[in-house]
Amino acid sequence: MSAPQINISDVASLARLTLTPEETAKFSAQLTQILGHMETLSQIATGAVPEVTPPAQPALRQDIPAPSLSIEAALSNAPAQANDLILVPRILE
Amino acid sequence: MSLAYETIATLRRRLLSKEIHPRDILKDLFTQIDAREKTLHAYTYLHRESALVAAEKADLSLPLGGIPIALKDNLNALGDPCTCASKILEGYKAPYDATAVSLLRQAGSILLGRTNMDEFAMGSSTENSALGLTRNPWDPTRIPGGSSGGSAAAVAGRIALAALGSDTGGSIRQPAALCGCVGLKPTYGRISRYGLVAFASSLDQIGPLTRTVEDSALLLSVLAGHDPRDNTTDLRPPEKFLTQKNGSVQGLRVGLPKEYFLPGMDSETESAIRSAADWFRKNGATLVDVSLPHTPTAIAVYYILATAEASANLARFDGVRYGRRATDARDVLDLYHRTRSEGFGAEVKRRIILGTFVLSQGYADAYYCQAQKVRALLRQDFEKAFTQCDLLLTPTSPEPAFPLGERTQDPLKMYLADVFTISTNLGGNGAISLPCGFTKSNLPIGLQLIGPRFGEETILRAAHDFEQAHDFFQRLPPS
Repeated sequence: MSAPQINISDVASLARLTLTPEETAKFSAQLTQILGHMETLSQIATGAVPEVTPPAQPALRQDIPAPSLSIEAALSNAPAQANDLILVPRILE
Repeated sequence: MSLAYETIATLRRRLLSKEIHPRDILKDLFTQIDAREKTLHAYTYLHRESALVAAEKADLSLPLGGIPIALKDNLNALGDPCTCASKILEGYKAPYDATAVSLLRQAGSILLGRTNMDEFAMGSSTENSALGLTRNPWDPTRIPGGSSGGSAAAVAGRIALAALGSDTGGSIRQPAALCGCVGLKPTYGRISRYGLVAFASSLDQIGPLTRTVEDSALLLSVLAGHDPRDNTTDLRPPEKFLTQKNGSVQGLRVGLPKEYFLPGMDSETESAIRSAADWFRKNGATLVDVSLPHTPTAIAVYYILATAEASANLARFDGVRYGRRATDARDVLDLYHRTRSEGFGAEVKRRIILGTFVLSQGYADAYYCQAQKVRALLRQDFEKAFTQCDLLLTPTSPEPAFPLGERTQDPLKMYLADVFTISTNLGGNGAISLPCGFTKSNLPIGLQLIGPRFGEETILRAAHDFEQAHDFFQRLPPS
């Protein structure tokens, strides 16, 4: 497997980032180099190896009501708010 | 002598004997800070007034009563900023305490300030901070390491007694090595990460940076334990570490992994590490040659998994609930794009894009899934090695601190600086870095001791014996 050509603008868009032309040029070159280094992994035989799974722990704690952040605290950093709700640009016309 | 030069253990004894008061410690620390912080820029925020108020009320009966501690700027502490050294968290004030912060408060410690870091802990030099770079106390033209570079520079520069850091790929140990202090990355699951701003959740651990191994053990004893708010924390009951000291080296099997002694590595570093191994042998340890054959793949595995996890974790910074919000957005998608593009720095963008790519359709199997499988092989390497030895002894960093600006345009070269620390995160093991020598130009060299999972007691006892037999930890950077 050779390092793929990565369409930086498309991937950035998936990540909700808009890059400047300078960033696009710079990151394209850098990421191609980094992905080239990652090609070493394709040579490791992993046929029968299971992927790493989280350590065995009780996955769930007991569902017991407990105090949590007050509405005031939870909204204390909201850039815009009204009536105990966060204001965002409309998503439906 | 200024109290800023003392260890926590010594200050606790002096506080308990009423020889000194907590305000005396703060006074001396702030005198040091006033003299050195302008050069070092280790802090992003200082609690000048609230620390003095807390000092008057300190409960000395508690394990860290009256002891000021600094926090890396990615740990939430109620009412304080938590910038992660990013423009995107400008103006944010934490609405709650991280569990680690809450445990420090319960143990009586005083919050001294918040330390600089690479933005969102992404970097190995603290040059990726949006709040300005931090300098190495031993040579201000050089990096302090990263990402917990502010914590390491503060402790080594005698402007903090101890600081918390976080370590995802070496971010506590590498700056500790480069600044000449003690940095402990505990086993994955040892300390709760609740309230730590997440970078790569399968790798992140909180840990202490201190002057001595004893202080490291004191802090670990306070911080370790299960937390229902982070269910990756282990269920074992709380432990006190390093209650027995000295004499731990006799009969210890110390493994030297051949993959950590590379041809072409810095000769002064190699010589210091070989001398340290020799010290262990002369004091009754058996040196064992071991192999961790998948080590050469670790950087690739790490930068796939860590960036993939980061791309998901950092999706929360969208301008909606907290932090920076772009103005005049046309619609909600425009709000996300503009907020994130304006708020994140270059390295964070680079890693989010890389992480998004390795998870994207058509590439996830070749990159993300393959990296998870190779991670399993890296873990097996550690498990096998620990059937042959009790500890692994390696360099922490392949070289001492490099000059500021040397690698900022070459991210791959910067990533390669993590070669000796990232495997430990991938394996989930605990490891410590402590000073083991100095170069001819007076730069610190760090020794790494890696243990089996939950082997901190063995790590700390061996590290303490080595430290106390040498004077490296007592040397002071030029003032």
